[in-house]
Amino acid sequence: MTEEILRVRGLRKRFPGVVALDGVDFDLRPGEVHVLLGENGAGKSTLIKMLSGAYHPDEGTIFVDGRETTIRTAEDAQRLGIATIYQEFNLVPQLTVAENLMLGRPPRRFGFVDKKAMYARAQEMLDRVGVDADPRAPLESLGIARMQMVEIAKALGLDARVLIMDEPTAVLTTSEVERLFTIVRQLKEQGVAIVFITHHLEEIAQIGDRVTVLRDGASVAEVPADTPEDELVRLMVGRSIDQQYPRERSTQGAPLLEVRGLTRTGVFEDVSFEVRAGEVVGLAGLVGAGRTEVVRAIFGADHYDSGEVLVDGRRLPRGNVTAAMEAGLGLVPEDRKGQGLVLGADIRENLGLVTMRHATHAGFVDRAGQTKAAARVAEQLGVRMSGLTQEVRTLSGGNQQKIVIGKWLLAEAKVLILDEPTRGIDVGAKVEIYQLINSLTAAGHAVLMISSDLPEVLGMSDRVLVMARGRLAGELSAAEATQDSVMALAVGELEETA
Amino acid sequence: MQFIKPAAVAAAGAVLALGLTACNKSSSSAGGGGGDIKIGLSVSTLNNPYFVQLRQGAEAEAKKEGVKITVTDAQNDASQQVNQVQNFVSQSMKAIIINPVDSSAAAPAVKAADRSKIPVIAADRGVTGADAAQTVASDNVAGGKLAAQELGKALGGKGKVAVLQGTAGTSAARDRQQGFAEGIKAFPGIQVVAQQPADFDRTKGLDVMTNLLQAHSDITGVFAANDEMALGAIKALGGKAGKQVKVVGFDGTPDGLKAIQAGTLSADVAQQPVLLGQLAVQSAVKAAKGGKIEATVAVPVKVATKDNVAQFTNGA
Amino acid sequence: MTTGVLRLRKGGSVLSENGSLIGLIVLVVALTLLSGDFLTVTNLLNVGVQAAVTAILAFGQTYVIISAGIDLSVGAVAALSAVVLAWTATSNGMPWPLATGFALLVGIACGLVNGALITYGKLPPFIATLAMQGVARGLGLVISQGSPIALPDSVSHLGDTIGSYLPVPVIVMLVMGVITAVVLNRTYAGRAMYAIGGNEEAARLSGIKVTRQKLITYALAGGFAAVAGIVLASRLASAQPQAALGYELDAIAAVVIGGASLSGGKGKALGTFVGALILAVLRNGLNLLSVSAFWQQVVIGVVIALAVLLDTLRRRQAR
Repeated sequence: MTEEILRVRGLRKRFPGVVALDGVDFDLRPGEVHVLLGENGAGKSTLIKMLSGAYHPDEGTIFVDGRETTIRTAEDAQRLGIATIYQEFNLVPQLTVAENLMLGRPPRRFGFVDKKAMYARAQEMLDRVGVDADPRAPLESLGIARMQMVEIAKALGLDARVLIMDEPTAVLTTSEVERLFTIVRQLKEQGVAIVFITHHLEEIAQIGDRVTVLRDGASVAEVPADTPEDELVRLMVGRSIDQQYPRERSTQGAPLLEVRGLTRTGVFEDVSFEVRAGEVVGLAGLVGAGRTEVVRAIFGADHYDSGEVLVDGRRLPRGNVTAAMEAGLGLVPEDRKGQGLVLGADIRENLGLVTMRHATHAGFVDRAGQTKAAARVAEQLGVRMSGLTQEVRTLSGGNQQKIVIGKWLLAEAKVLILDEPTRGIDVGAKVEIYQLINSLTAAGHAVLMISSDLPEVLGMSDRVLVMARGRLAGELSAAEATQDSVMALAVGELEETA
Repeated sequence: MQFIKPAAVAAAGAVLALGLTACNKSSSSAGGGGGDIKIGLSVSTLNNPYFVQLRQGAEAEAKKEGVKITVTDAQNDASQQVNQVQNFVSQSMKAIIINPVDSSAAAPAVKAADRSKIPVIAADRGVTGADAAQTVASDNVAGGKLAAQELGKALGGKGKVAVLQGTAGTSAARDRQQGFAEGIKAFPGIQVVAQQPADFDRTKGLDVMTNLLQAHSDITGVFAANDEMALGAIKALGGKAGKQVKVVGFDGTPDGLKAIQAGTLSADVAQQPVLLGQLAVQSAVKAAKGGKIEATVAVPVKVATKDNVAQFTNGA
Repeated sequence: MTTGVLRLRKGGSVLSENGSLIGLIVLVVALTLLSGDFLTVTNLLNVGVQAAVTAILAFGQTYVIISAGIDLSVGAVAALSAVVLAWTATSNGMPWPLATGFALLVGIACGLVNGALITYGKLPPFIATLAMQGVARGLGLVISQGSPIALPDSVSHLGDTIGSYLPVPVIVMLVMGVITAVVLNRTYAGRAMYAIGGNEEAARLSGIKVTRQKLITYALAGGFAAVAGIVLASRLASAQPQAALGYELDAIAAVVIGGASLSGGKGKALGTFVGALILAVLRNGLNLLSVSAFWQQVVIGVVIALAVLLDTLRRRQAR
């Protein structure tokens, strides 16, 4: 057995009001992929932030190469060969790929940046991870998947021996995930030790060697990666979850949302569909098929060129969020932090954002009423928090998503549009959100759900719409919809036109 | 139309705006006898009534002499002033009057004009490090001394005095302070109990004086290095101004002279900005026509008191 | 006893929420020890009067900074409003309440133009308000022809005292402060400022009309600037086109000392008030202690840095 490169014993960390880590043990050997599994708020982020020098433990020790070490700063971590790839990249979009790869330490000649050497070195670094990108191209011209590869190449360029990857697959498509795994396997062979965080249980067996499960800030088990998914879920949640997709169909009523011939030139074309009361309609398709663009246009966040949107039979004006809201639409956007939440504000404030208009009389907001309503919804959603005045920034992803949905619950939206509602959310919170969808449709509301997670679309939708290249490629009933039939529609038209 | 870019529109707008301001300027000149003589005047700042009066004097004199004068405002920015003087040179002005923002920072501009053989008249403040054809100025050091004498007289040679200084680092603040310090030595019975900056500003004069009265309630005299601060101090003194506490100001601005009439300001060392402007233009015209001019012209500093204030108010 | 403890605890929470308040207390204690003239009723009222203009400007600036903007025009707009007040009340013989209202409208109009440039014109707030700074300052000079205009007595009473003690500027400052606290905490406009400053896109997608709210924000800042200008002019009994030069920076400093974040979403009326008081107490103290002209600027700079540093350190510790 090879010597452990990293050993963590009894790590503890307290934040005001919360114990984030409560005794974590964790080992890492060279050439292994060690999966870190746990619900949001279980302490995964806190742990990796300590390994990368962002936080300091209150108690416990970290050993690197068998020696006790303190990691005070990001530079310390870098010197020890520990690199972390966060979900939010540490890259500068406006700079070129090469400049990003050598950020802060470009090759120099006579005090000037040696561009020739920089591009050559960048090419080598890119080749090592096998990504096809021009070192001279601005980073922002790359898609998110290739940006991630650049981030990995950058970490390896710093001679990283330990690579920590925080949910690297959350933003990738199936084929991109495959490419990532190929690279991870190569790195393994080169002896790099990898800490891998994911919420996709099926990925664990594919890529992992061992799994450490965290729950409520403590490490509860270390199991081999081929442990059955049910067992992993049980370890993670502390109880067994009977059903991953607990959809309960409700009786359907009149159409609440009707979209007719919606077109924005060059983005989407002639999109028509309806969503009935009590119904969950899934909107599937590849990333870039125009799904997000369509729902943003429906909600009035963006303009469209022709077509119409009707809610409850009444036509909505174009590009008017307030009118869409008043008519009973609600949008839970794809980018939770960037578009869904005011991160620096507290829970009460975020929950009340939509209802504030109606709670205003003569310019004054009924804050007592708002607080009461927020308390009710937070309770109903089971938000884990220290209080209503906790900053939303400090909540875990799942709890943050509950807040975004909560503000529309308070507004009693008749039609809720969910764009990737469970991205980056753990199993426990996912099921809670599915149950919420059930209770909404049971109460006669309608739900339109975009998701790139096919099992989720299949498990939760009463009807599936598939988009490809800006058009509706087809519609499948719950019975017809399978992985294959959906993918055929999503990819099919691509092949026809190609 | 589709070829017009926003930048082009902006440029066109700028040209239009310049044209309008240019028209404005020519309206302040006159097409009289000496027609083709053009003079440039760069004023340190028009944010101060004193320099506004200087400009008025210069414009009036130019009109009388029938020469064209272009006035620019350097907004107390020395580098902007250098640009303006360089522009005058390229516009081939026959003479340039500079009222320096800063005596030494004006040197490069004056040198540039010298190279093009354009005579430069320094107005109100001198130029150090370059040769101006003439310096027209009232003597700030002498003025400070005069102020000390007036305050000494008003206090009967004894009492406690506070000084409100000008903006730290400016030559006017320095010179007036120096003159006052020299002058007040003649009165051994007078004690200077506080010296604080109020930046030539009326509001600051009010605030600083209020604060000084807290620490020194027994002050009987105040010297303010300009009228704006003096008026602020008078406001702070309220009913005591001119009675228990004598205030002496500097500049002779219209508001200052009004305070003399009202009796709240005991004396005002009046510079004569209008006269200064007139003299500068006279010299500039003379130099432009190739005449010889003196190296320095001292514009007399006068003391305005209640007895003689009438002659000042009519003068402008 | 219990009530005493309770009160202490409440005081403690106010303290911990406002790092700058600790700074102010330290400053007051230090000055009391250094100068016997500092801690007297008259002197403290003086400090209040001297803080008034900056504080009122800073209250207006608080709205803008909370909504993640900046307003560099407030000083110039204050001067313009003052000049307009004096000009309408003297040259045009307008009765003073009408003239005051008119000056207020001028300030609000300047703010609306700022807001329109920023929302419809998509100019960065820094540039839009810098442009307004020039325009307002220039218009003030044009109207006044560069010279101070004396205010009629009816208006200058605003700078006096009620009875022999209570200075009107202090009262105006307190009223504007209370208005600011109420607007920020209780009104839709105020809550919208926090949301827009915290995350503009999230605010928009929650149905907040961002354009309209920004117009309101800058109009408020303009209106407050006008009030500051009126107070300033009435204190001097004269409206000066060159008054309040550079005050926008004092106002911004006061807001930031008060714990607001220049990146938006954070800020409080009380904090801003404390920030303005710190600046005024400092200037007053330096005069009382007869500190030399050159050192005063150094001390002011150092104290501003220390006050903000204290606040950030306290926040970091709370993490």
